[in-house]
Amino acid sequence: MNSPTPLIGVSSSMLKIKELINHVAQTCLNILITGETGVGKEVVAQSLYAESNRSKKNFVKLNCAALPETLLESELYGYEKGAFTGAHKKRYGKFLTADKGVLFLDEIGDMPLSLQSKMLHVLQSGEFSPLGSDQDFKTDVWVIAATNQCLEECIKNKTFREDLFYRLNIIKIDIPPLRERPEDIPALIEYYFKKYLLKHPKSKAEKPDSHTMERLCRYPWPGNVRQLQNCIKKLMVLNSWDKIFEELPNHDADTTGSSSSENTPQAQLGGSGMHSPGYQLDSDSGNRRLRIISEFVDLSTSSEKLFEDISLKKIKKLASDKVEKEVIIFVLEKVGWNRSKAAKILKVSYKTLLYKMSEFDVNPPIS
Amino acid sequence: MANPARLLIVDDNEDILSTFYEFFNSLGYEVKTAVDGFAALKILRDKPDYFHCLITDLVMPNISGVGLISIVKKEYPDTKTIAMTGYGDHPGALASEARADIVIFKPVDLFKIERKVAELIDSKED
Repeated sequence: MNSPTPLIGVSSSMLKIKELINHVAQTCLNILITGETGVGKEVVAQSLYAESNRSKKNFVKLNCAALPETLLESELYGYEKGAFTGAHKKRYGKFLTADKGVLFLDEIGDMPLSLQSKMLHVLQSGEFSPLGSDQDFKTDVWVIAATNQCLEECIKNKTFREDLFYRLNIIKIDIPPLRERPEDIPALIEYYFKKYLLKHPKSKAEKPDSHTMERLCRYPWPGNVRQLQNCIKKLMVLNSWDKIFEELPNHDADTTGSSSSENTPQAQLGGSGMHSPGYQLDSDSGNRRLRIISEFVDLSTSSEKLFEDISLKKIKKLASDKVEKEVIIFVLEKVGWNRSKAAKILKVSYKTLLYKMSEFDVNPPIS
Repeated sequence: MANPARLLIVDDNEDILSTFYEFFNSLGYEVKTAVDGFAALKILRDKPDYFHCLITDLVMPNISGVGLISIVKKEYPDTKTIAMTGYGDHPGALASEARADIVIFKPVDLFKIERKVAELIDSKED
């Protein structure tokens, strides 16, 4: 907490978030911060804290996903000596250490239901009692919660309490993923480059030139700011942007998602007629065929290995899964992620749809 | 009314917003609108104590209606607040807890709201 990371960004969404923080930090109303992993939810929480009139008090953080239920409960509320086996001495909970300050509850979507009701009670009454104690303590904490889950979905699935959601969601700050705000990337690189260069003064790492910067801005950054940050940390040791790119997952793929039919002739045209057998001789359709096949089998292995791997049945499954997934997402988006509507349209049972969604890892966007 | 009563109406549904605007405007109110809580808060901070009454939806992006009402009650205690909710009891209950002057359930009857607004503003002037 000595030097909290500033909120970096020049995109309109980040500017709006900064403005929002500035307007609400003094109100100390419960806040829910949402966004994908690595977008900087804790940085936003820290900024709120820093701009509030609680900045002289504690900022206490607790990750609700990191601890088993019973431990999470004792971390939150503390316990009296002898409350349970092993409770040799009294221990203060986070609600007490965060008194007059901020309690940042990360991954709130992972909090077990039983603890959610207790949490709701504390937020309603401002009172809690440590485990094994019959005394009620008054607490004045500013609760800032964060999650990468869609809590509205969790409510439908009955894994999150609706009443708790509304109590936390008094103010909501949604941080968009980095791929939706590439204009923030240069500033982030600048910041982390300076920061890590200070830690590695002997590093020969160089700032990205314009071409590299362009590549960096085009990359979709599935791990968001944290991934970018780690890359720059690595750069200090590797000293080479090319090596960094090599290590990025699917660094060549143009942004994933909606681009199924690119018409860019970027494949090495004219070069590789070698693999394509007799059928169609023009390299264009040969390339297209290889591109389609390579989506399902690894063409870089030897033919023997390749022929072992190929079976129509297997490919059929892979291909139909892929199309099914896209169709499911397409329909869900059309009906605003109403799954029972989508199931009707797709003419499958609701259960089948849910099963397929989890099989293909299809999740609604965090709104 | 020599001095028209000034309303701030907040809803993320622009159709509802324009309906409200037309309705209250035609009755001689001075009406400002905002599409979410944050936009509303900026208007309020810009013109402190200007509005006689805030009419707000509860479930909205960024600052919710409950948040907005809490802020208004604290920072602009003279402004009356009316919460509109269509999403079950939870936000409505929270709005009451935040001391909204009136909580009404959607779909709303515009004439009824207008009567409430007039009552609230009158009661203040007495």
